[in-house]
Amino acid sequence: MEEDEFFGEKAFQRFCVEFIKHSRQIGDGWEWRTSKDCSEGYMCKTHFQIKPGTVVSHPGTSAHVQTCLPMEEALELPLDDFEVTETTTGSEVIKYEYHVLYSCSYQVPVLYFRASFLDGRPLTLKDIWEGIHECYKTRLLQEPWDTITQQEHPILGQPFFVLHPCKTNEFMTPVLKNSRKFNRSVNYITSWLSIVGPVVGLNLPLSYARTASQDE
Amino acid sequence: MAEEPESALQLPPSTAADGEGPTEVSPETATPEPPSSAAVSPGTEEPAGDTKKKIDVLLKAVGDTPIMKTKKWAVERTRTIQGLIDFIKKFLKLVASEQLFIYVNQSFAPSPDQEVGTLYECFGSDGKLVLHYCKSQAWG
Repeated sequence: MEEDEFFGEKAFQRFCVEFIKHSRQIGDGWEWRTSKDCSEGYMCKTHFQIKPGTVVSHPGTSAHVQTCLPMEEALELPLDDFEVTETTTGSEVIKYEYHVLYSCSYQVPVLYFRASFLDGRPLTLKDIWEGIHECYKTRLLQEPWDTITQQEHPILGQPFFVLHPCKTNEFMTPVLKNSRKFNRSVNYITSWLSIVGPVVGLNLPLSYARTASQDE
Repeated sequence: MAEEPESALQLPPSTAADGEGPTEVSPETATPEPPSSAAVSPGTEEPAGDTKKKIDVLLKAVGDTPIMKTKKWAVERTRTIQGLIDFIKKFLKLVASEQLFIYVNQSFAPSPDQEVGTLYECFGSDGKLVLHYCKSQAWG
């Protein structure tokens, strides 16, 4: 069973296919993309969200409530509704792009993401930090620049933010071992993304966990 | 079967309670009663699961994460995963640099805002919700 610890690119793609299959069933928006000039591919999703904290014009809505809003409840706006929202509440819509790539050097999946306003203006690293869920801040702020960095997207060649993968193996190993103990088949991608996603505003619907248990 | 233990000190339970200085405290009294002690007993008199205000949550440690003496807790439905994480971190006296994760189905980490009641409806069985927890120096 030792080879299970090793997470190869083949396994990565297989888990992504499984993940995307469920995403399609529930309309979660994940898809697979391949680059023209190489065989590599990645899994991605685009998500629109009202910037938390910009809706301060509403009296009585505490900042705390804003930051704790689960992603599912955040508005997923079609583009045409954008102007209406902006003029009425003064809030801004942010386009988040999440890309899941395989890292050959770390042999783990890596979460790349970028965010921009609808006029194309990108969010800065500072903006990203402001959007991070309260509960991760204390921990992350100790060494912020090591955790989220700006790097070139290996396939697109454009600047993206990256959640650093150097500890991925460390937190995934006990989870995988434990699941194996219970003879439960685990989709590495689902499990991993459920852990790292919420750090940068990406919350997976609970039904992903249920598909895993049905495969049992 | 009863023959074996008679070699041991035959203290009637009542005299043990009288307490001569360094008496060995029985495990029952040593273990602080969990607030959910009622929940440990079969909940036959309880109303149907849906109407219960609190949910029985079983917390299980993963890997080298310290275990909690009290595993079963009655948790309010509206308690969030984050609230539970904070509670466990405090209970285990973890330092701020340690991140704690909670999993359903052993491997899925619900988002921090997810409420225990919702999780119970999706993943609860036999009147309880099993959650695994694991600490990690996840990032940085």
